[in-house]
Amino acid sequence: MIEARDEVDSRDRLLVQRMAAGDRAALETLYRAYHGGLTRFLSRLTRRADLIDEIVNDCFWIAWRKAAGFQGGSRVSTWLIGIAYRCGLKALRQRGDEPVDDYAMREGRGPCHDPDEDRQLRDWLGKALEHLSADQRVVIELVYGVGNSLEEVAAIMQAPVGTVKARLFHARIKLRNVLPALAGELPAQGEKLS
Amino acid sequence: MTIGTNSAKDCTRAWEIMPWVLQATAPPEQGEWLMHHLAQCEACSTEFAQQSRLRSALALPADVAVDVNAGFRRLLERIDAPAPEALPVRLRRGNLWGRALAIAVLVQAIGIGVLGARLWSDEAPQYRTLSQPAVSGPAGAIRVAPAPSMTLAVWDRLLHDFDLRVVDGPNAVGAYTVVPKGSPAASAQLLQELRASRSILLAEPADDAP
Repeated sequence: MIEARDEVDSRDRLLVQRMAAGDRAALETLYRAYHGGLTRFLSRLTRRADLIDEIVNDCFWIAWRKAAGFQGGSRVSTWLIGIAYRCGLKALRQRGDEPVDDYAMREGRGPCHDPDEDRQLRDWLGKALEHLSADQRVVIELVYGVGNSLEEVAAIMQAPVGTVKARLFHARIKLRNVLPALAGELPAQGEKLS
Repeated sequence: MTIGTNSAKDCTRAWEIMPWVLQATAPPEQGEWLMHHLAQCEACSTEFAQQSRLRSALALPADVAVDVNAGFRRLLERIDAPAPEALPVRLRRGNLWGRALAIAVLVQAIGIGVLGARLWSDEAPQYRTLSQPAVSGPAGAIRVAPAPSMTLAVWDRLLHDFDLRVVDGPNAVGAYTVVPKGSPAASAQLLQELRASRSILLAEPADDAP
């Protein structure tokens, strides 16, 4: 897994180097490689597709302009997600939106009668994430969805590792208490960690 | 999570390493230890299954539809958009006005600075206000204005007769400042005598305020 990530990062670094030289093909390759992941990541902050589109655009606009300054101190993916995270928070601030509470208002959410397993899984996840704050959703997404380490999450969120660790812990506790119920099970008494 | 022979310590350890085992970034021995623990601990096994499901759900593609092609097209348009320096003059006019205003303010600031420096200089003023004390001559000095027809010989004789000495003058109107050689105080009598002289147009104590 780590080897695979290193391989991807080596590819990404070459793309960033080419971007620094003005290579638009490299930009397109990187854009298409990360568009889906960034969209999913940003969907933990806001459910507005137009806003996500704008934030992804801002992110790659900055990456294009700052490519020459990328020092390689982190993975390219961490660098990009960090830019997207900051762009996302800025965009939400400028519009007066709160990233915390709009998750419950996601479009199309409601009773799901689609037999498709992915749809059920997505619905189950949506209900679970409603119980988390925006910061906790981001940490869960980065650790479980993207596969970042605590240090990488700290770099993305520009927060101390201890803070990230605490957010992850509390998010997991909440999920642990709600996921069984959402899956039609009730958590056993005495199993709560807090 | 304290079931069977598993200690709470083992369950806590299992809880902490689950995300990293799921990521496949934990060391292999940790993964092996966890699998061994899960085989013996039902609670941790249930928790691990929930986290595996959570990870599967989070790995699903975003359910918010964003067009990647349209997005990249807009990005290129943004990159190709003219830089602020290349904008037409009409669009930059506001900027030029701003620069002109800044230059005007700078010139004003320099002018005020030069004026302030001059005011702070030690140069003495070329005027005197009425509230300032008059510059007076020596004690008992008298300002006298001789008639224009007065000859030097007459002037010398007058000085001699009244025992006076010229200490200043003539000024712009031809007046002299004189002082008595003996008594420094100008007596009213001396003034009276000077005023009585035909050749003297004016005789006033020099230290009187105008």
